[in-house]
Amino acid sequence: MSDVKGKVLKHGEQTRTMHWLHLICFLILGLTGIGFYWNIGWINDLFGGPANASLVHRWTAVVFTAGPAIYILLNFERFSKFIDTISTFTRDDIQWLKTMGGYIPFLKGKVPPQDKYNAGQKILGWVVILGCLLFILTGFPMWLWRHAVSPAFLDFCYTVHFWDAMIMMLAVLGHFFLAAIHPQSRVEFSSMMLDGYVDAGVTAHHNAKWFANLSKLE
Amino acid sequence: MNAVEVGIIRVTSSCKGCDHCTSICATGAISGEMGEKHHIDLKKCISCGQCLINCPFSAIEDTSMVDTVKRALADPDLFVVVQEAPAVRVALGEEFGLAPGTNVKGKMYAALRRLGFDRVYDTEFAADLTIMEEGTELIHRVFKHLGVAGFEHAGPLPQFTSCCPAWIKYAEDKFPDLLPHISSAKSPQQMFGPIAKTYAAQKLNVHPTKMFVVSVMPCTAKKYECNRPEMMASGYKDVDAVITTRELAAIIKEAGIDFVNLPDETADNLVGLSTGAATIFGTTGGVMEAALRTAYELLSGQTLGKVELHNVRGLKPVREATIDIPIKDLGRTLPVNVCVVTGIKHVDGVIEEVLAGRSPYHFIEVMNCPGGCVNGGGQPIRRDTY
Amino acid sequence: MVSILAEKGGITRRQFFKGAGVLAVVAVVAGVFAKIGIDMFKVSDDYIAKRAAGLYTLDEKMAIRKSHENPEIIQLYKDFLSPGEVKPMTEKAHHLLHTRYGQDIPALLEELRHYQGEAA
Ligand code: HEM
Repeated sequence: MSDVKGKVLKHGEQTRTMHWLHLICFLILGLTGIGFYWNIGWINDLFGGPANASLVHRWTAVVFTAGPAIYILLNFERFSKFIDTISTFTRDDIQWLKTMGGYIPFLKGKVPPQDKYNAGQKILGWVVILGCLLFILTGFPMWLWRHAVSPAFLDFCYTVHFWDAMIMMLAVLGHFFLAAIHPQSRVEFSSMMLDGYVDAGVTAHHNAKWFANLSKLE
Repeated sequence: MNAVEVGIIRVTSSCKGCDHCTSICATGAISGEMGEKHHIDLKKCISCGQCLINCPFSAIEDTSMVDTVKRALADPDLFVVVQEAPAVRVALGEEFGLAPGTNVKGKMYAALRRLGFDRVYDTEFAADLTIMEEGTELIHRVFKHLGVAGFEHAGPLPQFTSCCPAWIKYAEDKFPDLLPHISSAKSPQQMFGPIAKTYAAQKLNVHPTKMFVVSVMPCTAKKYECNRPEMMASGYKDVDAVITTRELAAIIKEAGIDFVNLPDETADNLVGLSTGAATIFGTTGGVMEAALRTAYELLSGQTLGKVELHNVRGLKPVREATIDIPIKDLGRTLPVNVCVVTGIKHVDGVIEEVLAGRSPYHFIEVMNCPGGCVNGGGQPIRRDTY
Repeated sequence: MVSILAEKGGITRRQFFKGAGVLAVVAVVAGVFAKIGIDMFKVSDDYIAKRAAGLYTLDEKMAIRKSHENPEIIQLYKDFLSPGEVKPMTEKAHHLLHTRYGQDIPALLEELRHYQGEAA
């Protein structure tokens, strides 16, 4: 692939822990949530009936919220860099979007060099931030203020929460496909799910700009 | 099946278990943890329907008598009369796009005639009758309290109002010792029934078995009330069927009546004429104000200059006022202490004072729904957000 | 060339402000959301006062505003409830217009049955 050898540390230990935690919470939340919405007996029974499934959903949500919050406080620099990266959209990012990163066979064109995250990942980053914020802002009132707020607001929260869940599950499904299944991109799987490293050659190819910066620093 | 046993209010399968309703219900009749379908205990439920109008997902419904009414209207042998509660006329229009509070009394009468009711009367007439009976009862109780001879058999003070069937069931279930304090006068709906099937039936030359009395109510508990076994003073079921404001709107729409453009009509006479005092029955404090207008004039022998009693109005859950009434027959002035409770959650404190013998009041109005009948469980459901 | 590359610590001012900025935006969005909730709560019951006002306005427009002045009520008493006069709480009124509660209901039912028998 490339003549570059060695490894690049892409995601630190805390980042990986946080990602795992968030992933597990998301799966539990999504599963129980689907169980509530479509009133699916076996899902609810998996968690000990609807009332318990709801308790699991709510307390998992606490972890789902507190995990990232603590992570951001402990790793504010890392968080700020991440935000900086995903909020920087250059002509290369636009071009990446136009060619869809070369993932779509009939979309021809040269894929431009990318930063630590490609344009698609940047967008996913925003979707996740916004989506989680909406989960938190609608979910906690549904739980803690259910007796205090007006019925119209509760209805609003449930509706937003549900559609948020639908969009997020699709987004995460796409994310999963590219990160774990697609042969071109699953080479990065280990960087987040295992030891944190990516092959330097792969990075030089997929994240050329970032790699150039890292090499410069050496 | 008997609706008293079946219950009026049910949770449907659309329940999401959001648990909002358990904070609305004052009697603890609704059970269920968050996340699971909730359930209403019919023994504890007072049929007020507040959970129904406050359910974010419209997952609570009330027993419908609409089919019975339609069948009666279609039956040529039946003489179908209808009465409508005061609160209906300021909310019915909302179902046709009008602003809350719009008075559609005339159109309501017109629509009912077009639906085929043989006589369109008005519960407000019966509300005036309630004031006559309940006001007189209050005067008797006050006289007994003052030691006037001839009133020894009157009940104790304070007297509670009895128009609200949800409140009655609440008191029966929770405070049986309080029952002697509640006015024995029936609610306007249940006064109208027997008057229609005796007095009106005689005047109209209709046999009571051929008369079918329908009432249009802002209330779900009225459905329960009309089915109470003792509500057959006329010898027949006094009120045959009750439909809510929402159900009337649905029937009008179904019949293809262009409600908003109906001409204003008036109620039929005999038992259809009403007064302003009866109109305000539909809001909290209204029964009190109406009773005081009459009691004042009857006791003092004077004419009230200003009929409005602003200090019993408003939406505060518990309000009190003192009105000095000169009693002509006794030659003295009595400060009458009254109290108005709206929202059954706020009544317990007032009742406990009464049972402990510490209550300063003579007359206490209780309405189950916050704001009174205008906010009843049978009214159009509003989800205003701005 | 076998090496391990990793990012260095330290951030630029721009990065710091972006990170802090996002947190600030999150706080503002939460505030706006809470405001929506509070506003929706505030207006949710406004219709009650409007309907009540509708009744009070109607009362003001009525020709007669006191129950005992209702001519049909007077006629009902004179013709039927208390023949010849207006007298509430007669025996007939008691039978038709008054009731009992709770434990007293079985006795009332008994009386009603009795009454029916008499009428028949
Ligand atoms: C901060 C995070 C979250 C909180 C506080 C939260 C809280 C809640 C609460 C209180 C409910 C009400 C249902 C019940 O308990 O019976 C609910 C429902 C639901 N949640 Fe969450 N949740 C969170 C995150 C998520 C996530 C990440 C998903 C999906 C991936 C999700 C999917 C759902 C779904 C589908 C429902 C059913 C909605 C409906 O019935 O309309 N939630 N959530």
